Amino acid sequence: MTALDSLRDAASVDAVTTDLLRTAYDNDGSFLHRLDPRVLLLWYVVFLFVPWLFYEMDVLLALFVFVSVLAVLSRVSVYLIAIMAFSVVTSLTSYAIVTAFTGDPIAAIQALLPFTVKVTIISISSLAVFSSMSPKTLARGLLSLGVPRQFTFVIAYGYRMLPVLFQEYHELVNALRLRSAVPDSPGRFRWRYYRYLLKLSMKAFYPMIFNVAKRSRVTVEAMEARGFSSSLDSDASRELQLEGMEIRPGDVVFFCGSLIYVAIVASVL
Amino acid sequence: MNTQNDASISVDNLSVRYPGSDEYVLDGATVEIDAGEFVAVIGKNGSGKTTLCKSFNGLIPHFYDGSFDGRVTVGGIDTADATVSQLSEHVGYVFQEFDNQLVSPTVSDEVAFGPINHGLEDYRERVARALSLLNLDGIEDRFLWELSGGQKHLVALAAVLSLDPSILVVDEPAAQLDPVHAGETYDHLAALNHEQGMTIVAIEHQTEFIAEYCDSVVLVEDGRVAWKAPVERALNRLEDLRRNDIQPPQITRTAAKISDTNERLPIGFDEGCRWFRNVLDSTTMHSPSVTVADAGENLPVRDNKRTPLIRLSSVSHTYPTLRGEDKQVLDALDLAVYSGDRVALVGSNGAGKSTILELLTGLKTPTEGTVSITDTDTATTLPERIADDVVYVPQNPESMFVKDSIRADIAHYLQSRDLEDVAARTDDVVSFLDLEALEDRDGRLLSVGQQRRASLAIGVATAPSIILLDEPTGSLDLASRMEIGRTISRAGERVETVIMATHDLELAAEWANRILVLDNGEILMDGPPKTVFAATDVLAEANLEPPQVVRLSEELGCTSVALSTDELVSHLTSERPTASTGASHQ
Repeated sequence: MTALDSLRDAASVDAVTTDLLRTAYDNDGSFLHRLDPRVLLLWYVVFLFVPWLFYEMDVLLALFVFVSVLAVLSRVSVYLIAIMAFSVVTSLTSYAIVTAFTGDPIAAIQALLPFTVKVTIISISSLAVFSSMSPKTLARGLLSLGVPRQFTFVIAYGYRMLPVLFQEYHELVNALRLRSAVPDSPGRFRWRYYRYLLKLSMKAFYPMIFNVAKRSRVTVEAMEARGFSSSLDSDASRELQLEGMEIRPGDVVFFCGSLIYVAIVASVL
Repeated sequence: MNTQNDASISVDNLSVRYPGSDEYVLDGATVEIDAGEFVAVIGKNGSGKTTLCKSFNGLIPHFYDGSFDGRVTVGGIDTADATVSQLSEHVGYVFQEFDNQLVSPTVSDEVAFGPINHGLEDYRERVARALSLLNLDGIEDRFLWELSGGQKHLVALAAVLSLDPSILVVDEPAAQLDPVHAGETYDHLAALNHEQGMTIVAIEHQTEFIAEYCDSVVLVEDGRVAWKAPVERALNRLEDLRRNDIQPPQITRTAAKISDTNERLPIGFDEGCRWFRNVLDSTTMHSPSVTVADAGENLPVRDNKRTPLIRLSSVSHTYPTLRGEDKQVLDALDLAVYSGDRVALVGSNGAGKSTILELLTGLKTPTEGTVSITDTDTATTLPERIADDVVYVPQNPESMFVKDSIRADIAHYLQSRDLEDVAARTDDVVSFLDLEALEDRDGRLLSVGQQRRASLAIGVATAPSIILLDEPTGSLDLASRMEIGRTISRAGERVETVIMATHDLELAAEWANRILVLDNGEILMDGPPKTVFAATDVLAEANLEPPQVVRLSEELGCTSVALSTDELVSHLTSERPTASTGASHQ
């Protein structure tokens, strides 16, 4: 019971919001933050493929260590790590349960382990890359690679709206709680109580979407009242948005260094 | 660039109808606004004043379907021929829901948004200039969600100033901000008007701000511009104002009750003080300094042996911030509330008013100390159980609407608790608050004033014994404000105490029997209204300005402050027979 309560506290709306915002915006100190977003995106694309080139567990583990170090340096959110760890463990467990009926679960997991590690490597490098870039940097990177401004704006704006969404949802859940009745007897492990909270949190979902959609009407008007559509096909505006982006020696060193590391690992192990 | 001839607005026979509606929001509106004017636009909720102002920057007709007739010319440009984006360099618009207007994470990004969209290379200088115009230097790198409401509003203003518009439209600044911050915003607007010659249009229903800052007033009534007049004349048309649910300044209302001629009444405070002194000198009325007896007002009788309904013992509350520090909202606060108390919590934004109310609902538990309601510790009780006795109507009424009709929202609490006669009880509340016309509408699609009324209905339907109201009069016009008292009295015989957090000191003065002045999470003062409003130094420390009648009765030397216009008038007129003795005692 107390474990559940402390879990609930740790997952409190304030804590999750603060952590996600920190992941998104507070990345001045992270290592990857200093790199040019275009280089980082290219590096990411390369690392989407690299794990699939190898089958040996040793090499994969070395890659896993490498991206993990990057993730630590990028100060990835503990919540995101927890969600990822949870999904890896549950997927492995579910293989085991399924294969327990069809044959040898241990062998199945051994067979599936390389695949899982590959997916995990990609997940961790995604976390590292995207949490070390602020939404604005990412948007600028994509814009310079030719992605339309309408789309890149949505990335920056979507992240800006996250805390608003959380706040809205939190208020709705609270308002619902004050007008609902809790089950009279909570039951073993208070399961009825948690079922009630779960139902309530689902009920609050639709009103949240509704309210946010309503707000966005004002947002769209306000953006236009400050000339958003002028920026869509104006070269002058595009230049200002991409100002100051350049590929420095550090970017090249990082990119080539990563590839050299992969090459060394592949040949030595 | 700000050239004077560039900044006039001309609306000629404008008619607008929104899609899906047969009624015209605007029906032949005609008005001329000169360059360099500071104009207030007033009118009932739903009279079309926002629609009129949205036609200045082309949002109407370009952003709404429906029908549009007539002609709007802004600085010589016909708005029908220009895009909203083109007009944005001439007309800046700060929305009422300014929070939704902010699209960037940081202050400097937000202010640079407009100039970068227009490809203006000097955008950095523009950002710096706009921020320094509003004394916002130093917060460039702050995240928007870390700012207070007042700062956000100024950032929204800076974000349109960076485009150097010659016309600025501001929608209801005083509705979303506390009076101190609204005053600051108006000071900045006045400076832009005087120093830069900017034309300023403010939609406003608080006439005390209009009297202090505006040159002229436009009244929108039934889709037409009923008149446009210089502010002194406009605020003297008391009949027209009342018919449109606009409360004239307290000073004007008091003067109207005393004056028996058709002379022009004062509208501003200083002017009012002179006017009242003149009246006192020239008639048999005299300064009521001595003869007005103190009403002997006290807090309701306390039986010390009886336990309080609500008790907060050394309550502190903190919350974490993005920068990893904790922010302290309440600091070792002690408070006991007894049956029969009508408490007004007053203080500027961030003083801790809302936090106290949230602690009483059990949704938040104090970081330190205990909060108990009728001897139940809120930390060990579920908010749902506390809600059997306590009802909370939050500042943002929107979050109370979770169903697709007002009626279903009102019935929700009753149904979830399996109470009897749900339909009858719902009917009762609906008819009492005149919500029949709205009961099948979706609460989220109503106007803010209607939402407020509906949220109160949802609250009183629970038959609570403790009512908590957070800013119940925010963005309400006169008629709706009058209903608050009526609604509370309606909540039923179970009600033992009502606690209201409010910026509306006029309401606090007239309604409460106990006022708590909060500042930085501490109680500066706790007492009956007369005592609190007499303590001008405490109010100043808490950044509060007492209502005009309170200040006026002090200026005129009353020993006991008046809390309402009627009270001040009776102070002054009761002097008449004993005028000479009253004066000699002094």
